[in-house]
Amino acid sequence: MVQVIVYGIITGAFYGLAAIGLSLVFGVMKHLNIAHGSFLMIGGFAAFWLFDLFKLDPFLSIPFVMIILFVLGAVLYRGLFSRLDKLPEGLKINNSMLVGFGLTWIIDNLAVLFWTSDVRAVAPSYTGKVWNVLPGLRLPIVGIVITGIALLVIFSLYLVLTRTYFGKSVRAAAQDRDAANLMGINVERTYLIFFALSSALAGIAGVVAAVNYSVHPTVGFEWLLKAIVILVLAGFGKIGQVFAAGLVLGIVEGISVYFVGATYREVVGLILFILVLLRRSG
Amino acid sequence: MLEIREIDVFRGDIQILWSVSLAARNGKITALLGSNAAGKTTLLMAISGLLKPVRGSICLKGRPIEREPVHKIVEMGVSMVPEGRRLFPEMSVLENLELGAFTRKARETKNQMIEEIFGIFPILNLRKVQVAGTLSGGEQQMLAIGRALMSRPKLLLIDELSSGLAPVILQSLSETIQRINIARGLTIFIVEQNVLMTLEVADYGYILENGRIVGEGESGTLLQSDQVKNAYLGTGEA
Repeated sequence: MVQVIVYGIITGAFYGLAAIGLSLVFGVMKHLNIAHGSFLMIGGFAAFWLFDLFKLDPFLSIPFVMIILFVLGAVLYRGLFSRLDKLPEGLKINNSMLVGFGLTWIIDNLAVLFWTSDVRAVAPSYTGKVWNVLPGLRLPIVGIVITGIALLVIFSLYLVLTRTYFGKSVRAAAQDRDAANLMGINVERTYLIFFALSSALAGIAGVVAAVNYSVHPTVGFEWLLKAIVILVLAGFGKIGQVFAAGLVLGIVEGISVYFVGATYREVVGLILFILVLLRRSG
Repeated sequence: MLEIREIDVFRGDIQILWSVSLAARNGKITALLGSNAAGKTTLLMAISGLLKPVRGSICLKGRPIEREPVHKIVEMGVSMVPEGRRLFPEMSVLENLELGAFTRKARETKNQMIEEIFGIFPILNLRKVQVAGTLSGGEQQMLAIGRALMSRPKLLLIDELSSGLAPVILQSLSETIQRINIARGLTIFIVEQNVLMTLEVADYGYILENGRIVGEGESGTLLQSDQVKNAYLGTGEA
């Protein structure tokens, strides 16, 4: 049972990483970026190719993957999402979803075109190695690293948002865009960087996914669904809550696999999702 | 300091300001008076760059600013206390002040300015870790003024200082405004419905009605004018 929870925590840490970028962009900018899952997929493939072609360790490839996704996010925001910024909130959410769906379609199909629909995984030498802490309690090395990365990300994000002028300008713009503008904040540029940063976070999650699971061109949508479930569980824009919700989902899924079998793993997550929706609306 | 020439400003398809011209002189307090929906806030939004005039020009120290983005205008030294204060409600008093000093130049003097603001409004010092949304109306207005001063502006725009404030608090705030004006030689442009209070503080006033300037003059002269007496003070002859 302890073992089940340990695996649940590792899965949850990944879920948190997968959801954080989506949640931040939605909380601050009111864009529901459906293409977030596809950003993860690109991150996963980037890690795969860096490993396959240059023998670059996937965890060391994270900075490069982040840069790739940062640039991609910046370009897509400037070209597409920024055009929605002047819309009122509800319309913005709807339209950003449409843009995101379109992007997912394009990105996923380009991925099939360039990389074929094969399932790939990054398997460095330490894959599958475990650390026997106690009899009956084993910690996979990869899992420890993933959990560490997740904690590092949440802590750095917290520092950036509360301690730096950039982070404060992001929060100010989220609370009152015009007032932030009147402080001399270039809100458009702040949003651009923030969107790009969130894309880079999707890149980290993608690398983790490629090591811990596998990537193929349409995998993004599966991860997006997880991220949206977490978004609803956590409420919006609070980083700590996003990770907590990720952990809850990971552990609940793990326990359900233990008791009712892997077939129903997704179902349990979605039941949780529906329960939360019912409570929120009731 | 500020010179506006014949601007037409639209909100969506509706024209709000019609060929408005006015000036705010260096180191003086200039007031724009008018009733609800006369276009006062629209004018301030045009000065700060949130709205762009369709025609006409807005010059700050002789330099046209009507095409500049909002954050550039702030960097040039224009700061606003917006209508309804528009604080960042979930951030602390201190963070609100810090954001007031967002521009590169203002950041250098941030700590010194925070001390000065606490000197002007000691209550903010006591409340500095409190979240802005939980302050009283008067404290919020003080914070909004303090936040606007943080950027060390050359021109301070104030939109409806009086809104939602008790008369006693308003009285002390308007005296504070006057003191800031004198002590710092800060040019202030204030937009108000409360005619009597404003003309006591201001040096010069304009009257805006239905998007057009219909009168102007030294405060003393305006206070005595039939136009003001009839329309706003109710002391004129019917």
